[in-house]
Amino acid sequence: MSARTNTATQVLFDAPGPKGRRRILVLSILSVLVILGVIALGLRQFAMNGELDPGKWVVYLRADYLAFLGKGLMGTLKATAMAAVVAFPLGLLLALGRLSRITPLSAAVACWIEFFRGIPMLLVVYAFLLALPAYGVNVPRFWMLVIPMIMVSSATTAEVFRAGINAVDKGQHEAAAAIGLTPRDSMLHVVLPQAVRLVLPSLILALVSLLKDSTLGYVVSFNELQFQGKTMVSITRYLVQTYVVVSVIYIAINFLLTRIALALDARMKARATGG
Amino acid sequence: MTTSTFRPGRRALVAAAAALPLGAALAACGSDTGDGPSLGGEGGAGGGFADAVASGPVAEDAAIEASAWATRIKEAGTLKRGGTVANQVFSLADTSGGNPTGFDAGITQLLARYILGEDGADKVEYIDTTVDTRETMVQNGTVDCVIATYSITPERLEVINFAGPYYLSGTAIQVRAEDAESISGPEDLTGKNLVTQSNSTGIQAIEEHVTDPGDVQQLPDNESCVAALKQGRADAYVLDQGVLLGNSKADPDVVVVGEPFVDDPYGVGLSKDDEDALDFVNTFLQAIIDDGTWEKLWTATIGEVVPGDAPEPPVPGDLPA
Amino acid sequence: MHAISENIPLLLQGIATTVALTLLGYVFALVVGTVLAVCRVSPIPPLRWAATVYVEIFRNIPLLSLLILIAFGLPDVGLTLPYFWCGVLGLTLSSAAFVCENVRSGINTVPVGHAEAARSIGLGFFGTLRHVVLPQAFRTMIQPLVNVFIGTVIGSSLCSAIAVMEITGVTQRLNIQYAQAVVMFLVAGAVYLVLSLGGAYLGGVLERAVSPSDARRRGPDRALDVQAGAQA
Repeated sequence: MSARTNTATQVLFDAPGPKGRRRILVLSILSVLVILGVIALGLRQFAMNGELDPGKWVVYLRADYLAFLGKGLMGTLKATAMAAVVAFPLGLLLALGRLSRITPLSAAVACWIEFFRGIPMLLVVYAFLLALPAYGVNVPRFWMLVIPMIMVSSATTAEVFRAGINAVDKGQHEAAAAIGLTPRDSMLHVVLPQAVRLVLPSLILALVSLLKDSTLGYVVSFNELQFQGKTMVSITRYLVQTYVVVSVIYIAINFLLTRIALALDARMKARATGG
Repeated sequence: MTTSTFRPGRRALVAAAAALPLGAALAACGSDTGDGPSLGGEGGAGGGFADAVASGPVAEDAAIEASAWATRIKEAGTLKRGGTVANQVFSLADTSGGNPTGFDAGITQLLARYILGEDGADKVEYIDTTVDTRETMVQNGTVDCVIATYSITPERLEVINFAGPYYLSGTAIQVRAEDAESISGPEDLTGKNLVTQSNSTGIQAIEEHVTDPGDVQQLPDNESCVAALKQGRADAYVLDQGVLLGNSKADPDVVVVGEPFVDDPYGVGLSKDDEDALDFVNTFLQAIIDDGTWEKLWTATIGEVVPGDAPEPPVPGDLPA
Repeated sequence: MHAISENIPLLLQGIATTVALTLLGYVFALVVGTVLAVCRVSPIPPLRWAATVYVEIFRNIPLLSLLILIAFGLPDVGLTLPYFWCGVLGLTLSSAAFVCENVRSGINTVPVGHAEAARSIGLGFFGTLRHVVLPQAFRTMIQPLVNVFIGTVIGSSLCSAIAVMEITGVTQRLNIQYAQAVVMFLVAGAVYLVLSLGGAYLGGVLERAVSPSDARRRGPDRALDVQAGAQA
């Protein structure tokens, strides 16, 4: 625990004395007032435009509304899961290729990584949707969303894995060599298992990225949450409400995933420092 | 995953709802939770729609066997239709379990019945497509056909086939209700900010019929276009009448003004790979026109929002040059 | 090829719009994000909480959802901005959350002793931050902030969904007009690569310029920073 509390953020200010405490109290009250003011202003705007009408919000508890959005959520989760299942192992392979001593392989992989890290996924989705069909490359809409997700995510996760492999203590390699393991075996049996454990929190964050990227199903008319929301707006005309509800669902899931990643990360750091 | 993420929010909302003076709203509509529009179901089509679909013809086995496309659908047991389920007049979802309703939904269910038999209307898989994705979905076989207020144009005919036309629509203008007096045709759109869907017939209609429009915004879907119009980002929404009528029905704040100023014949989008589908669907369309089903369907759907009797049906196979 | 030569002005305008969206969004995000980070490490609890809530909302909401809410949701509650500024606002709000977390992460890498030393010679909260902690943290923040920049570049493409005619939107539109315009995608891809690789290169130059000469780094470490979260 001590390792975590002694970061620079904790020593930026002294434990306040009586005068300091009073000042902090005054500033706290002031900032609470300002924050409440901002929130009140926002709510007032909603109310003035009739968007707080409870009838426009409680409908989202109705079975048919929930089922409609639930269908989209299933699509989102399906696309995210499928992309992760393919992209993460692919990312690991790319990382190994990147670290390989075979220069052409390493260079080719580096190009793939830089390319897909540097261009927007939307462009890849449009390429699959609009440009490639003219050349006979025409895949179902689920894959029109998921293949670009895989391409982009494999590049990000490759860098994650590479950092993980690099982070494994060099001594581990040497020890493995000392007991007679070949470089390949030492990578496979000694370094990789540790690296994968190290990057687990980062991989969960990559899942958050994928979940966000799946909103581009909107473009290929794949029924994920954002697209279902759009259709729902057309039927109910409750635009703000629908998109707020949709966004809150995304935020809730991603918040949960981020918490899990942070908790894992904290546990690993505690274990590493606490011995 | 689904339940665990929904549950906290739901509990909080229920608590919030309990604290609010909701009684009146709930009592007024007699529904359990709020008076929001149903997600379809009461699409105005009512019994007339069901009757129209139920009165459709069923093809002879020989006719099906003669078409590889129809045989494939019959063997699969479902018709995969590309389109939308969010158009109030042409195709609207019914989440209470029933089939979508509307003119396009009716044509779809009639086609399914024609191929799959008496209970075929229930054997349709509705796959969402948008203006950007329709051609691709037909080409790659994601859908068997697209029936989605889909205007037949020379450009589109280069990449896919169209059966039909089955309905003669036209490009029209939608404005905010308070502007209905001042805008009645394309000549009133000079200098006005316009909105239309990307990849739609509206773009060309504006280019050819509106002199010096203001800003022409292209948005990816109908929802954004309506929002842009209602919120004053645009003064008029130019698209084919079928879509605009659906918007007006759902939302009285926007109205369709004047007469259509460009012809938009709607067709059934089919893959060029399915050569025999074209004749097969045209034969089907001719059959529902000849036996009066087409007129019944029109009356139960478009007839609800357009005054007057059903128009003369178009001639399937009569494509624009 | 004529799809390009006939549309040079449109393409140039698209490129300019992409650059403008990215730069404006990023610069505003740097400012807002730094202010948020200061709030997050400040001694005033409500400010810490508010900044935390901000970060949790804006790093977890998909950018597309955020842009659509800003462009089409805000007008329903009485605030209509031009599409371009909706894009800038969305990019700023989203990137600022990541800037904030990276700055905070950076502050945490400064050895505790330095802040303690600064405190002991009488520097206050802002003095310690400004003269001792932030300048040192800056070096470790460069690489993560470059990643936020790339995230902003990539994110700007989503503004095409709200009618901002940036390069992805232009590409998509022209592709529909000219059936076989794969070339168009290569042009757009090149624009993004130049922007993101250019940003990474400048970041590298900056990093070397402020690094002590003996601290040779072995290439950028681009693992996802768990504290900072994943930008998309």
